[in-house]
Amino acid sequence: MPRRTLAIAVVALMLVTGGLLAVVHGQSLSGEYKIGVLEPLTGPLAGEGKRHLEGYEIVRDMINERGGVMGKKLVFAVADAPDPTAAASEANRLITREGVKIITGTFSSRLCGAASEAAARHNVVYWETSCVDPRFNKRGLKTVFRTEIDATGFGWYNVEFIAKHLAPRFGKKPNELKIAFLSEDSSYGQGVTESARQRAKQEFGMQEVAAEYYSFTSINDFTPIIAKFKQLAPDVVHHIGYTNDAPLFWRQAREQNFLFRAHVHAGATGYGSPDFGKALGADANGAFALLEPGPGFRIEALRPEGQKLEREFREAVQKRTGSYPLGGHQLAGGGLWLLKLVLDRARSDDPDKFRAAVMALDLPVGSVINGWGVKFAENGQNANDRVQHYMLQWQNGQLVTVWPEEFTTNRAKWIPLGAWDQRK
Amino acid sequence: MDSARRLGPAQIGVLAQLGVSTVLLGGIYALIAVGLTLIFGIMRVVNFAHGEFLMLGMYLAFWAFTAYSVDPWVMLFVSIPIFFVVGLVTYALVMRGVIHASHNVQIFTTVGLSTALQNVALVLWTGDFRIVRPWHSSVVIRFADTAFNLSQVVAFLIAVALTVALFAFMKWTHTGRVMRATAQDGDAATLMGIDTDRVYRLTFAIGIAAVGAAGVLVAPLYAVYPTAGLQFVLLAYVVVVLGGLGDMVGAMLGSLIVAAVEVIGSYLFGVAWKEVLYFVLFIAVLAFRPAGLFGQRGAETLGA
Repeated sequence: MPRRTLAIAVVALMLVTGGLLAVVHGQSLSGEYKIGVLEPLTGPLAGEGKRHLEGYEIVRDMINERGGVMGKKLVFAVADAPDPTAAASEANRLITREGVKIITGTFSSRLCGAASEAAARHNVVYWETSCVDPRFNKRGLKTVFRTEIDATGFGWYNVEFIAKHLAPRFGKKPNELKIAFLSEDSSYGQGVTESARQRAKQEFGMQEVAAEYYSFTSINDFTPIIAKFKQLAPDVVHHIGYTNDAPLFWRQAREQNFLFRAHVHAGATGYGSPDFGKALGADANGAFALLEPGPGFRIEALRPEGQKLEREFREAVQKRTGSYPLGGHQLAGGGLWLLKLVLDRARSDDPDKFRAAVMALDLPVGSVINGWGVKFAENGQNANDRVQHYMLQWQNGQLVTVWPEEFTTNRAKWIPLGAWDQRK
Repeated sequence: MDSARRLGPAQIGVLAQLGVSTVLLGGIYALIAVGLTLIFGIMRVVNFAHGEFLMLGMYLAFWAFTAYSVDPWVMLFVSIPIFFVVGLVTYALVMRGVIHASHNVQIFTTVGLSTALQNVALVLWTGDFRIVRPWHSSVVIRFADTAFNLSQVVAFLIAVALTVALFAFMKWTHTGRVMRATAQDGDAATLMGIDTDRVYRLTFAIGIAAVGAAGVLVAPLYAVYPTAGLQFVLLAYVVVVLGGLGDMVGAMLGSLIVAAVEVIGSYLFGVAWKEVLYFVLFIAVLAFRPAGLFGQRGAETLGA
């Protein structure tokens, strides 16, 4: 036997045994399955975009440890989408050059519209895990899905919290509550605020005393609004703020000694951002923000399969980042896990089979990462009451989970909020 | 709603607070606008990058405070020479080449500079919102029914001092007189033996030093991020037009007017209206008193 043939034979043998070993290892991952991941990795949105990518990578590894998707190892073709133009062109590139049949991303409401439009044009599945633009699922696109609730869902949860948790603790009926709405005027702020206004009024008969919008790019002074609100004396201030304006409102409300019983926000910006705590320290105490589960979250409250997943996810995030999962990790990770469940069921990326599998998915709250459940509507939107959201409250420099109470070991404090210097 | 119409003690309290807010907010706007009006008035250059120098001042305060625990009030004294030099360097590298070019070229240049500086900040310091929190930013002074923040009161006082100082400098020093002469007629000034290039360089440096100092002073009040300047600079243009180009005292009064429109308009009509209101004012001034409320007739065409 010539030396070269021998060498080839040895290599071949090694490959075969190697392959056998992989099979013996249990998961028999034959080949790779590539999906496109589109996130802003440069530019002003990059911080959050990178956190999302990190969340995807952590859950991708969890998925591969469990046998990948459709028997193959899940891999990413990552693309950078700093702005809507890039989002559309990179989506096109992922589809035409990388040949992906599924794209996930892009978190920002500025980007998800353009990216999903491009994907839908190629009849490729677009799997959004966090953008909250209410218009996203109203375009009749059959291959576009969103795992996270939209802005209107945030409004739904906020009113749920105010009516069912705050009102009884104030000793009032929901229809006795006076509520003042204040919001930045982006599609996010308007979406949350309008849906909250509607539900508060129609379902619970709350008394709306004000509804004010402002642009967060040009607001420099809240004292006129605070002066007005002080006279209207609302029980609850429902304020959707961005990162620069929320600390400004809170600081000036304290300066003006504006007293209200509770203050409720939704989302990872403004009062839901770590920056708010940094800006105000212990003065931040008392503000509520609707988010993904944070410190205090009781994993034991989930269903057994959800507990296992959530624990593993937290450990993986802890190992990689050294901290508790942040919103970006949770939304991206939770969303990607749902994609795996769909692919397990569809066994195909054919848009029709994929869609059928999405629609067939039906899991109660507490089944997967973040304590979520799943039930998609025909428009490709996961249901409000399945994508469980949690009310967090600033308590001595930390945002902790306080509601729903069965999911947390912490309790909401300062209800009703007392004087500004009494919230210690 | 009825109670809002009646003038009771509560109403007087609100009025007093709105008045205080107007004055304090006007102080911040004036701080930003004096530098702009100086550059605008003497060089006839609309500095679209003005807001970015404000942003750089805010970052200077942030880093000094975060890394070395230097209070922004102390940093103020350091920032003025730093930004004076920044102004000189920017003039040498960017402005000198276009100072005699058409307005279009100047606009493109300063807009380009603005975008470049924003992106430099983005690359160096990311898009995160940073907060400067010295002890005085949470000190509240209460007087009768009104309340104000100590950082803001000091920012206001320094704005007044700075405006008065610049006004005095322009009015009574030789250099100031030379600068005013250049503003009135650049060509004639050259014929009189004035080195206009030197005047422009100095003007730009003083303008940038003023806005850099403004950035340091507002840092404890507002979040610091790469596009923070945009939040104020649009207003500064309105102020400058209202006050008349190059008019320091006009800038101060213009700032108070803009702040009053903003504060009282927000209270009466809702905050969404504030930009409508002051831009209506802006257009009205341009239509009926193009030289500004306090400017001299015909001043708008000088040096054009």
